[in-house]
Amino acid sequence: MGDFDEKDVVTLCGQIGRVLLENGAETSRVEGTVEYIGRTVNIPIVCHATMTAVFVNSEKSATTRIFKVRVGDFNLQKVDKINTLSRQFSNHELSFAELKEAVLEVEYDTSDFTWWQKWLGAGLVSVAPMLLFKATWFDLFLSFFVGIFGFIAAQFVGHHSKIPYISVAIGGVTISLLAHVLMNLGVASDANNIIISALMPLVPGVAMTNSLREIIEKNTISGLVRATDAIMAGISIGSGVVIGQILVKMIMGG
Amino acid sequence: MQITLGFVFGFLSSIGFGIVTNNPKRTLIPAGWIGAIAWVVYIIAGWYNHGVIVPNLLAAIVIGILGNLSAILVKAPVNIFYVPCLVSLVPGAIIYDSMKNFTLGYDKMAAHGLVKALTIGMSLAIGFVIAEAISNKIYPPLKKYLHNRKNV
Repeated sequence: MGDFDEKDVVTLCGQIGRVLLENGAETSRVEGTVEYIGRTVNIPIVCHATMTAVFVNSEKSATTRIFKVRVGDFNLQKVDKINTLSRQFSNHELSFAELKEAVLEVEYDTSDFTWWQKWLGAGLVSVAPMLLFKATWFDLFLSFFVGIFGFIAAQFVGHHSKIPYISVAIGGVTISLLAHVLMNLGVASDANNIIISALMPLVPGVAMTNSLREIIEKNTISGLVRATDAIMAGISIGSGVVIGQILVKMIMGG
Repeated sequence: MQITLGFVFGFLSSIGFGIVTNNPKRTLIPAGWIGAIAWVVYIIAGWYNHGVIVPNLLAAIVIGILGNLSAILVKAPVNIFYVPCLVSLVPGAIIYDSMKNFTLGYDKMAAHGLVKALTIGMSLAIGFVIAEAISNKIYPPLKKYLHNRKNV
């Protein structure tokens, strides 16, 4: 104690909340973690998190800070690291200054799996267990590679464009183009099965389920924001696939 | 045969999504096991019940209980186990299909798909709530036991 004042604590708590929220933690966990840290340093902190902002308020002197949040992709490694840090801090294994440094480090941390591991992962997700006995084995084998290409296209566009939803739409276009070309060439037997299977890494199913979980926990605002986000992503993927289909029809006929 | 294949591919797809969402490495294998077991439960429940609600509900309860257990054992937030295990169950393909119908102008099919997606999502979410209610009763003694054993 002693090497920090209230403002520091509020700022740090806001940073922690933002990192957690941006990388896919649920709102109740964000609020819980932040308030827990406040309790550890004996400063009563109230935190309110929605999907678009984190409000952190210290009760003692009415210091409030608002942090804007842009929810992005899942990066659960950061969530786990922050969780470990806050646990160590509340066990007094870390001092406040050390915690501050470590949180900054996590915020700008870019450690990730290597690109080929990511692609392999996307490919594995693209072989949907849901379709094991509905699609032919060869179609599933193809969808492994189609899914990888869709994932690469989405990631590439996501790195180069800030327009929301464009990356998943391009992913949909790529997958649809490949699937329909494969079917027109007579390699694949059913384009629709390949598309559904290969879209698994892109579709917002997990987001939809998380949004319903939030609504059940009575975090209604966050839940609705997540649900709208999921439906928008669904619309962009759907229209992307339709555009790809039309393009193939125009070029190859049939 | 169906169960073995379901187990293998459920495992692989959970691990794959774990890699895509950048899970910490120590959580990948437990997440894979949970995903595989949940998928087997889903298949077996599907044999006796042809709706979408019961299989998804049971699978979500299994994920919830095992996920909370591994969260204690591996010391990680429970969401880390939920996200990759869910990927083969969630109604992503149905949302996509319904939105595609929407784009093509088939409003009736679009609405049908959306309602179905909401139903599946809701049954998964309720499954998690049930699982969490059960885990909150079961696991605190276990946690205490682990804590004591470490201190002795």
